[in-house]
Amino acid sequence: MSRVVRAALVLWFLVPLVPILLWAFANRWPFPDLLPQQWGLDGVRSGLAAGAPHAFVVSATLGLAVAAIATPAGALAARALTSGRLPIPRVVEAVLLAPLILPAFAVALGLDVLVLRTRVPSPLAVVAVLSVAAIPYTTYLMRVAFGAYDKGFEEEARTLGASRATVLIRVQIPLLAPALSGAAFLAFLVGWTDYVVTLLIGGGRMVSVPILVASFAAGTGNSSVVAALSLAAVIPPLILLTLVARAGPRTGTST
Amino acid sequence: MSSPAAEPGAWRAALWVLPALVPVATILVAGLGSALLQSLGLMPLVGAPALTIDAYRVNAGDIATSAALSVAIATAATAIGVLIGVTTALTAVAGRRWALWAGTVTVPVPHLIGAATIGLLLADSGLLARLFGLSEGGWPALVGGRWWIAVVLEYAWKESAFIALVVAAVLATRVAAYDETAAVLGASRRARLRLVTFPLIRPAVVAAATISFTYTLGSYEVALLLGRAYPEPLPVMAIRLFTSVDLATRPQAAAAAIVTAVLALLAVAGALMTLRRSAGWR
Repeated sequence: MSRVVRAALVLWFLVPLVPILLWAFANRWPFPDLLPQQWGLDGVRSGLAAGAPHAFVVSATLGLAVAAIATPAGALAARALTSGRLPIPRVVEAVLLAPLILPAFAVALGLDVLVLRTRVPSPLAVVAVLSVAAIPYTTYLMRVAFGAYDKGFEEEARTLGASRATVLIRVQIPLLAPALSGAAFLAFLVGWTDYVVTLLIGGGRMVSVPILVASFAAGTGNSSVVAALSLAAVIPPLILLTLVARAGPRTGTST
Repeated sequence: MSSPAAEPGAWRAALWVLPALVPVATILVAGLGSALLQSLGLMPLVGAPALTIDAYRVNAGDIATSAALSVAIATAATAIGVLIGVTTALTAVAGRRWALWAGTVTVPVPHLIGAATIGLLLADSGLLARLFGLSEGGWPALVGGRWWIAVVLEYAWKESAFIALVVAAVLATRVAAYDETAAVLGASRRARLRLVTFPLIRPAVVAAATISFTYTLGSYEVALLLGRAYPEPLPVMAIRLFTSVDLATRPQAAAAAIVTAVLALLAVAGALMTLRRSAGWR
């Protein structure tokens, strides 16, 4: 019985990914056929011709920029929240977690006019909104990490004469590295997977991977391009995820 | 380390929180504030500002229908997500982690791509229709049909993985020890689930379900790709009005956005009230 449940759960999570795996390499796949009639790389070629390399550069830049901003900001905020010295910590925490529950499209829709009027470059505005969307994740993850973090190591290093900078580089960052990489990964994903903020504030000039996929998915007969682009969009973060998981905290149950 | 009073510590802590707090507060207040002003006619693209609730009134019927539809989709997706997510977490804590690993694979998949692949799976010419050999007319309208089934399943698919990961983390750190104690004291498997595991994971489940619910409520691209033209969920309505060539519909777009934000806040208020009554909340 429980084996059946487990098998059903694995199927539930993995079966929806099967169509893009097949379609990405299908040149011809007419309807009633269970498998493609002709395999090939037409989808990949069409994707490349439609500007996929540029879209991947845009998405990677977005992801990296968001990670570079939201990770240190979240780590510092988490340190402050766990220090026990912050005034009105509950209010601060509520504000920092608010982007999780307030709809990003509503924020982007409101900001669009302000961005136009203040002439802030739209890529900058997109990065700012997505960094704000990522800060709840980085703050929460780092808060958990600081909660389990033993300050004794720092105090010992200071007692032994280490400077503040040395403690930061030799003690704090190595101890927190697994949590920092997890937080950076999640922040990267916020930039890498976004569609609606780039659409509303980017104003059509920022063509990221999801924007490109959407332009194909809106039409018909584009299944193999959509699938090839989708597969290419999912594989880099999956590789990153396995790297992060390997570096991750070894807190799993030992039994 | 040798700070005698709490004051310098408080100042430093306040300083540390600013790089996160300032952008979050600025963007949220500016974005939602501007949407609110636009919806009330106080920030028109052309002409003089004048306070009015016309943007809400003109579309009142459609906004109500869209709000009901959005809440229904988010409720259905979250219910399925909680059921499957909690089951997955429970199988993982029992030592069989395959399902949780499979769920982790879906985390980096953007919702837009999830919608594309679910479409290729469930459409009337999709993989499942091919597999079951059902041709025209025999396959139910899962994509673009009356019941928004493909949309609900796409959200439930991604949310169940998110909920599974959150609950599995709580199970691994807090619940395992209590569960073992109860087992040693002779509690049956069923009694342990009901009296130990469920009460301890309840806060995490409520929190994860609330995040999933509000996310689905404010999500655009899945309903756009897998839904039907009318009625529309609130975000689809808002963005259609926002990107319309007719500038006069901008305040109506902002009104739909504000209604979505208010519904999300109401959901959070409900969740906080539920959590306050549960013992595991600190």
